[in-house]
Amino acid sequence: MSLVNLASVCAHLNNATKARLGLTSIPNTKMHLALCQALQNSGYLSTVVRGGPTPPPAHPILGFPTANDVEPITRENIASRRLWLGLKYWQNESVLGKVQLVSKPTRRVRVTVEDLRKIVRGEESNYVAGLRSPGESLYVSTDRGIMEARECVEKKIGGQALVRVK
Amino acid sequence: MSLARPARCLFCSFSRAATPITRIPRRQFHPTPASLSKRTPKFRNIKAASYTEEEQAKLAKVYSPEQLEAIKAGEAAIDPEDFAEQFHERTDPLAFKYLDDFSVIEPSVDRNVRAPQSNSDYNMKLKSESEFMEEFGRFFAEGPEDPTGADFVRFAESLRVTNGKEAAELDPHSVLVPDLFGPNETIDEPRVEERKTAEERGEKERSLAAEEMTDALKSLLLATGYTERQVRDLRTKTLVSHSVVNQTRLGKVRRAYRLSIAGNGNGLLGIGEGKSDEASDAKIQSQYRAIRNMQPIPRYENRTIFGDVEGKVGAVELQLMHRPPGFGLRVQYLIYEMCRAAGIHDLAGRVGRSRNKMNTVKAAYEALMSQKDPEEVARARGRKMVDVRNVYYAGKA
Repeated sequence: MSLVNLASVCAHLNNATKARLGLTSIPNTKMHLALCQALQNSGYLSTVVRGGPTPPPAHPILGFPTANDVEPITRENIASRRLWLGLKYWQNESVLGKVQLVSKPTRRVRVTVEDLRKIVRGEESNYVAGLRSPGESLYVSTDRGIMEARECVEKKIGGQALVRVK
Repeated sequence: MSLARPARCLFCSFSRAATPITRIPRRQFHPTPASLSKRTPKFRNIKAASYTEEEQAKLAKVYSPEQLEAIKAGEAAIDPEDFAEQFHERTDPLAFKYLDDFSVIEPSVDRNVRAPQSNSDYNMKLKSESEFMEEFGRFFAEGPEDPTGADFVRFAESLRVTNGKEAAELDPHSVLVPDLFGPNETIDEPRVEERKTAEERGEKERSLAAEEMTDALKSLLLATGYTERQVRDLRTKTLVSHSVVNQTRLGKVRRAYRLSIAGNGNGLLGIGEGKSDEASDAKIQSQYRAIRNMQPIPRYENRTIFGDVEGKVGAVELQLMHRPPGFGLRVQYLIYEMCRAAGIHDLAGRVGRSRNKMNTVKAAYEALMSQKDPEEVARARGRKMVDVRNVYYAGKA
C-alpha cells in the first residue's frame, strides 16, 4: 500500500481539476480503484473505468466511457492498465475540491471509531482536523475496504485515514 | 377538662388534640401500636355523582331530554374513582413538588399563548334579516330624535354586517398584495414621508452636506434604488485610512486613501476604496462605493457562516471559523466591524502571516464570499444532505 503513489494521485487530481479536465487517468492499483469507487459513491467522480494507455471510447449515447466498452483485462495487458476517472464540474466549479493526504508515507495515521466520531462532528482528534465545512469528507482504509468517515462511524470500524477531500 | 377523666400530666393535656375522645385506648387488645396520626380510611368513600330532584329540574330548563340522557350516560361512563381522585392532593411518589391542579393555563409558565396571526374568526356569520331589523329598530328607538341624512349615513357606516369578532370584518385576512402606495401617492409623486422637510419630521438640522443632495449621492441613489433615508440607515464604517503618494516629474503628489465597509446588518456587505486630495472626499467616495458593492453574504441560521473558510490577499492569509450560538465575535477589530455590518454574530478568525489592514479586510471579504452553500454541494454531488440541527430541534434551534 504505497502512500507515495497516493500522494501523486492527489496532486494529479488537484492539477486536473484546476485545468478543468473532463477525463483523467491514474495508475491502476487496488487501493486507487477502491478509493475512486468510494469517491464515486460520494458523488465526486462521474465515472471510474479501467482502460489502457489511451482513453477508453465514450459510450455513443451516454457520452462517457462505461465498463462494457472497455477491453477485457488479460495477463498481457494488465501492466498497461490505468484508471480513467470522469471529473465533475458544477456552476463553473470543480465538484472535487482539494484532495489532501492525511496519512503520509513517513507517518501513517490510524483512527479509531471514537476518533472518527469526533472528526465527523467537527472536532480534532488524533491530530486529524475535523470535517468542518459542508461537503468535506475523509476517506479511511479499513479491513472492509475504503470508506467515508461517516460510513465508518455507522459501521463502527476504524482504520487508516487516507485522504481528505474539501 | 372533664372531671371524669383521670388526672394526668398537665403538659400532656395541652399537647394533645382538643378532642374529648382518648386517642389511645387504655387497653389494647392487639400487639400493633396504634398510630398517632389521623387514621385514613382504607377504602375511599366514593359517592356516585348524581343529581338531586332540584338540580334535575334546573338542568331540564337548559337541556332537552335527549341531551340530559346523554349527560347522564357520559357521567355514568366516568369511573367514580376518577371523580374521587380529582382535586385531591396527590401523595404518590410521582406527585409534583408544588401544589397545582393544572386547571388553569398560566401563560408565563405553561405555554406562551400568542396573539392570533390573523384576524379571522371561524364563528363569523352574516347577520340575519331579523337581526338587521333589530339594529334598525334600535337606531330609530334610541338614536337622535330627528335623524338627518348624515346621522343615517353614520349609522349605516358603523353598522356591522356580521356577528363575531369586529376585526374579522373590518380588517380581514387577505392574500392580496398590500397597497404599494399610501393615500394621495402615485408613482411619480414621492412618498408623503419623503416630501416632508427635516423640520416637518421634527428632526434636528443636519450638517449642510447632508441637507443638499450631492451629485455623488444622487447617482448612488439612482444606481442602487435606495432612498436617502435607507442609505443613511446602512452601517458604514471607514476601516483603513492612510495617505498614498504618486511620484511624478514635478515631485510627490500626496492623496488620502480610505477603505470603507457598508452593510445593512442583515446579510449584505460591501467594501469600497476611495482616493482623493481631500480626506473627507475620499471617505465619502469609499463609502458610496462600498454601498454600491454590497452583496449578499451566505449566513448559517442568520448568525454564523457555512463551514470554515479561508482568504488570501497579498501576504495576508486568514481563516474564519463558524461557531455555535452565543459564541460571539472573537475576531480582530477589522473583521469584527465587517461582521457587525453584515449581521454575523458568531465567528472566530485567525489572521496569519501579514496583518496588513487593507489586505485583511479584502481577504476577510473574499473568505466570506467563498462560502459553499450546502444545497449547491448536494446538487453538485447528486447526494442528499440534511442539516441535522434542523432535524433534532424541529427547525427551531
